[in-house]
Amino acid sequence: MTLNDILKESWLSISGNKLRSFLTVLGIIIGVMAVVIMVAVGETVQQSITDQFSSLGTNTIVIRAGAARSGGVRMGNRQTLTLSDAEQIGKLPDVSAVTPAQTAGAQVIYGNQNWATSMVGVYPDYVTVQNIEMEYGTFFDQMAVKNASTYAVIGPTTAKELGMPENPVGEIIRIQNTPFVIIGVTKEKGDSAMGSQDDMVIIPITTLKKRLQGSRFPEAVSMIAMKLYQDADNAVVTDQVTSLLRQRHKIKDGDENDFQVTDMKQIMETMNTVTGYLKLLLVAIAAVSLLVGSIGIMNMMLVSVAERTREIGVRKAIGARERVIIIQFLSESVLISFIGSMFGLVIGVGLSQGVGRFILEYNVPFSIWPVILSVTVAIVVGLASGVMPAIKAAKLNPIDSLRYE
Amino acid sequence: MKAKKEPPIIVLNKINKSFPLAIGGHQQVLFDISFTVKPGEFIAIMGPSGSGKSTCMNIVGALDSATSGTYELYGKDITTMTDDELATIRNEYIGFVFQNFNLLPKRTVLDNVMLPLMYLGLPMSERIRRAREMLKLVGLENFETYFPTQLSGGMKQRVAIARALAGNPKLILADEPTGALDSKMGNEILHFFKKLNKDMGITIIMITHEFEIARYADRIIHIYDGRIVYDGPVPKSEQTLLKAEKGHKK
Repeated sequence: MTLNDILKESWLSISGNKLRSFLTVLGIIIGVMAVVIMVAVGETVQQSITDQFSSLGTNTIVIRAGAARSGGVRMGNRQTLTLSDAEQIGKLPDVSAVTPAQTAGAQVIYGNQNWATSMVGVYPDYVTVQNIEMEYGTFFDQMAVKNASTYAVIGPTTAKELGMPENPVGEIIRIQNTPFVIIGVTKEKGDSAMGSQDDMVIIPITTLKKRLQGSRFPEAVSMIAMKLYQDADNAVVTDQVTSLLRQRHKIKDGDENDFQVTDMKQIMETMNTVTGYLKLLLVAIAAVSLLVGSIGIMNMMLVSVAERTREIGVRKAIGARERVIIIQFLSESVLISFIGSMFGLVIGVGLSQGVGRFILEYNVPFSIWPVILSVTVAIVVGLASGVMPAIKAAKLNPIDSLRYE
Repeated sequence: MKAKKEPPIIVLNKINKSFPLAIGGHQQVLFDISFTVKPGEFIAIMGPSGSGKSTCMNIVGALDSATSGTYELYGKDITTMTDDELATIRNEYIGFVFQNFNLLPKRTVLDNVMLPLMYLGLPMSERIRRAREMLKLVGLENFETYFPTQLSGGMKQRVAIARALAGNPKLILADEPTGALDSKMGNEILHFFKKLNKDMGITIIMITHEFEIARYADRIIHIYDGRIVYDGPVPKSEQTLLKAEKGHKK
């Protein structure tokens, strides 16, 4: 018996009972499709989280003012950090850019338009730290910070909401009755882990502290963000920053920090672990439906052996050896699961890519491993669920099978 | 008949067969069955139902093995062969014709005839050539794409005969080949067997419980209660066989 014979015999048997074979194949289709779609969902979630972090960059460390806890009570947004803290951190060898950041709400007025948005006061290095690209104009420079200039860089959403012209550079907006000149508009970036970067007014931190807030402590800031060089070790820099700030803030050994250092890389690694488990969970759920599909194959094969008892008897009477009967039944179950997995794969990939691209407008990642995995699993499943019925068929006694009605 | 001087192709020597019973113990169905078959013979194994003739046929057809005794087929002792070895023997030496045809219903006539050739491992072109040749021999060359369900009983049996002949066997074993056919079609099949035997020298062993059918053979082996009570040329009337039965009873 050649491979050709085996395939032809299997195909004739499968196509001999179209409805039953279709329903069995459907079980495998659904199983494989579920695996492929669940993997795509898992990967999409993982990628979207990665994307959000990478818009900020994983080689970013953020320091927030205020202890995580103080005597069991969480302290508020105490501004224990200072501009000179930021400048000292900037002198660390692994830090490529550093900026203090102070956020505040802002009611922005342009002409007769009025828009409530958030405002952040920063240094020019903010561009590097936040990976900001400019659509129009430029970002303000260190001179503007020094002079507390009334320059503003706004996000594209803000510009749109205020009804500004396509290129709003040079337009005047008012924040708390202080007029600001728009000197730049950032490129659209989408949402990030730090909130929308597209609806935001960015001004020099000195302008925010001195002119708008009239702060008694213009040096104090609530946050410092920094970007590291590519080859820097986040953990080492985190330690350096921590000890530098403890020294500067004169914190005694054993006392708690009055700031929190957040390593974005570490957060992302944690998120990756979480999404990894999520993926595993999704695949496990999908695997159950693949298992149910394989039980369907075994069920069909057992019924088929019972139904074809006489056929098996005839085949054995005219010279089919046990091995040949086993191969025939195994190849039927493998063929069923192979056909099912192929359709499941095509439908699964089609659905996940289609829904992703056209409905969610998100580029769903396509990876080859669920393809290899599900086809391998399907063949193993086909073999496994075919073994018992095939052996049962091969062991049938030809005399009894020929008499079987 | 012409080949009576050649060595026998089948030698059964004191074959006993017993089956285990569900309630325990054994029931013996064949007692010291011994006979030889020479090439070119046309033999009818006769006997009432329950006489053990089907069991005898299964042993001769290498479908079943004896409890004791020896069986030589073409000089090979097949008494101790494994299931797979027996399958090869059946494939190479024996063509089966069954009462209920046993064609595969979802395969065409041509595919059915080619089936034993596939197990012989012949290339596809050779299978088609031989199967077509056999279909021509049984007069069904125009029906090769038909399915068995589209054919009459007599035609189905002719397909079954073509299948039995396809592997070029030396021996045809026919189990009640006319049992499912009306008498006209039955006679047609029996004439065909006769023709195969006379023209092609194929040895035929046919099982039947009807004397009228057994008469087509040249030799009758009559089995009664698991024993051979008559082995010889076809008698003039069935009375001879019935007497042999009675003789055994005494």
